[in-house]
Amino acid sequence: MNNTRWTVAAAAATTLALTACAPGGGDTSADSDGPIKIGVIADLTGATGDVGTPYNKGMLAYVKWRNADGGIDGRDIEAISKDYAYDVPTAERLYKEYLNEGVVAIQGWGTGDSEALMSKVSADELPFMSASYAEVLTDPAEAPYNFVVAPTYSDQLRVGLNWIAQDAGGPAEVAMFHNDSPFGLAPLKDGQDWISEEGLDLNMEAYPMPAESANYVGLLSQAKSQGAEYIAIQNVSSPAAQVARDIVAQGLDMKIVCLNWCADEQFIDSAGESAEGHILVQPFAPGSAELEGHQVIEEFLQGEGSSLEKEGLHYVQGWYTMHIMAEGIAQALESGDDLTGTAIKEALEGMGAIDTGGVVGTGEVEFSEDSHRGQTGTGVYVAEGGVMKPLELGVTP
Amino acid sequence: MAATATGIYHRSYPRELALRHTRAEYSRLALLVLAMVAAPYTLDFYWLSIVNTILIAVIGAVGLNILVGFTGQISLGQGGFLAVGAFTSALLYERAALPAPLSIACAVVITAGAGALFGLPALRLKGLYLAIATLASQEIIVFIARRWSFLRDGSAPLSVDRLQVGGFEISRELFEFQWYWLLLTCAVLSVLAARNLFRSGLGRSFMAVRDQDIAASAMGVNVIRAKVTAFAVSSGFVGFAGALSAHYTETVTWESFTLEVSILYLAMIIVGGLGSIAGSAYGAFFMMLVPVMLNELISGAGAGIPALTSRLPAIENAVFGLVIILFLLLEPRGLDRIWQRMKDYIRFWPFRY
Repeated sequence: MNNTRWTVAAAAATTLALTACAPGGGDTSADSDGPIKIGVIADLTGATGDVGTPYNKGMLAYVKWRNADGGIDGRDIEAISKDYAYDVPTAERLYKEYLNEGVVAIQGWGTGDSEALMSKVSADELPFMSASYAEVLTDPAEAPYNFVVAPTYSDQLRVGLNWIAQDAGGPAEVAMFHNDSPFGLAPLKDGQDWISEEGLDLNMEAYPMPAESANYVGLLSQAKSQGAEYIAIQNVSSPAAQVARDIVAQGLDMKIVCLNWCADEQFIDSAGESAEGHILVQPFAPGSAELEGHQVIEEFLQGEGSSLEKEGLHYVQGWYTMHIMAEGIAQALESGDDLTGTAIKEALEGMGAIDTGGVVGTGEVEFSEDSHRGQTGTGVYVAEGGVMKPLELGVTP
Repeated sequence: MAATATGIYHRSYPRELALRHTRAEYSRLALLVLAMVAAPYTLDFYWLSIVNTILIAVIGAVGLNILVGFTGQISLGQGGFLAVGAFTSALLYERAALPAPLSIACAVVITAGAGALFGLPALRLKGLYLAIATLASQEIIVFIARRWSFLRDGSAPLSVDRLQVGGFEISRELFEFQWYWLLLTCAVLSVLAARNLFRSGLGRSFMAVRDQDIAASAMGVNVIRAKVTAFAVSSGFVGFAGALSAHYTETVTWESFTLEVSILYLAMIIVGGLGSIAGSAYGAFFMMLVPVMLNELISGAGAGIPALTSRLPAIENAVFGLVIILFLLLEPRGLDRIWQRMKDYIRFWPFRY
């Protein structure tokens, strides 16, 4: 027994000695002339895969286009893109994998994973953009390395509520259907506060939408007993289209106001006739608007044997999110810094407005040291004749 | 369980009580120790981060095995108890500014209490009925974590400051490396504690309840006490794993503690071996490595096949299900039993037994 004790003690002592001498840090490709690595956390098969897939395609297409165009300062972009199926632990694992590969920036996806990685990216000093426009990510004091390229969900809901108040012209009941996750919950409180701050004559009740539900008749009957005339939806296209179909099937008279992730062609296509007359709050201009910023994508897609009409607006969204990151990297390289996360962050904050050819909000995205809110303007569209018809563009709350 | 293989003789009582008897066992232990010491110097930080998550899973799996494998009380509430541990420790560390070891210890105690509370239905329910009752505990806990704004930082999930113990703080550059030693120590201590538990009267009463509760009570085992204690002890381990994961991942969100997590842990102990402490560790390693290895395999060999890479999570789920079915069909006693059979084969060779 004594012998064993000695062995254990000796082993413990060696272990302690070993912990004292630590290995060297991970490799970084940052300051070489090799490709610039960007990690992409994508949802292709998860709960939000319907809109995540075109978004991811748009990002990768931008990288392909940019590399064919000479890359950034002669260096290629290498996008490492993997599916995480909207699962936060998987996103954390992918993040560590990318970190180890020596990426200089991360393109994320959902609100849950963006918020979960928020403190990590600031500790590891990696700029992080995502398709989540949650308000908390815009505050550099809380999330110094997160950049939000579009008006936040809260801003979009504010615009939506303003529109409802104007449309109703008097008191109105609003049912807020939301995805039952951090993504869906993100704008709720700000929306309620907005109603009381602005003195809008609205009453808003929130209803979480059960995931994988065959229909939303139950939810609609709750909204009906609330007396709701308007339904604001913070969810992705497929469930929102289901709500639109259920409204028609139940013979209800309710108007949907879709925010961002359900305000798209997919919603109109899958809801068909039932989509008519519903309102879509969408900061990214759809391809049908044929703005200057769409041309470059359209040309690229023609070469690929596709078209913007086929790919939809989330493709544009992915393309321009990657564009903004690439511009930040280009600026960091131009100012002669080593390509580190901090250099890219400072470049993005100091470079002024980034042109998006009119596609994002009011057209330009600008960050500063005090605010990582790139845009506040959004378009308001109505679904009419199977297309998104603009009602107002560049609306700010 | 406590029986030793034929052909091994003991010359003294302490030798009989030792955890290991043969020279081969000691040399395997030495190899294991060597591997554990070498790991952080040979693996890069990505792989080390995977090992770290596995070490946390080992503690959780050991906890679940105490309940399911040793006491025979099936539980689908693992994710919920991990959440209790994680939130408790994070809140005490962040809001009440308790030192980390103390907040983790409190998390263990509180999760044990929660486990005992949710284990009360086990006094009346068995088998599938108990599974549904524990499913309720999972859903209730996650529902609370989802809805209670106290458990969030404003609208962001609860973030935990970098771990600080005494004057020592985990550094950014050596994050995974330093955590490895911490987690390894915790995992080894947990495994030893669990091993020890089943050499004590309490542990044996758990097994008696599993094998035949009526016979156990006839023998004088207090079945009620055994069941509730099993829930408490098991949840204590799980709470420990949850608390460590909170400090390690530095963010606590309910999304990491869903029902899928509970099922993953059940899969771990089924694959590893029900009623085996070593099996829990094997199972944790195996199940945590399946998605990682699939990822490596598909992004390495199948890089040219987008049909594979774009369906990775679906393939992951399919492989997951297949692994569990195959284990249940071919070796219900799991990896632990396979390992034992391999050892026996070599030991008895050229004879069958």
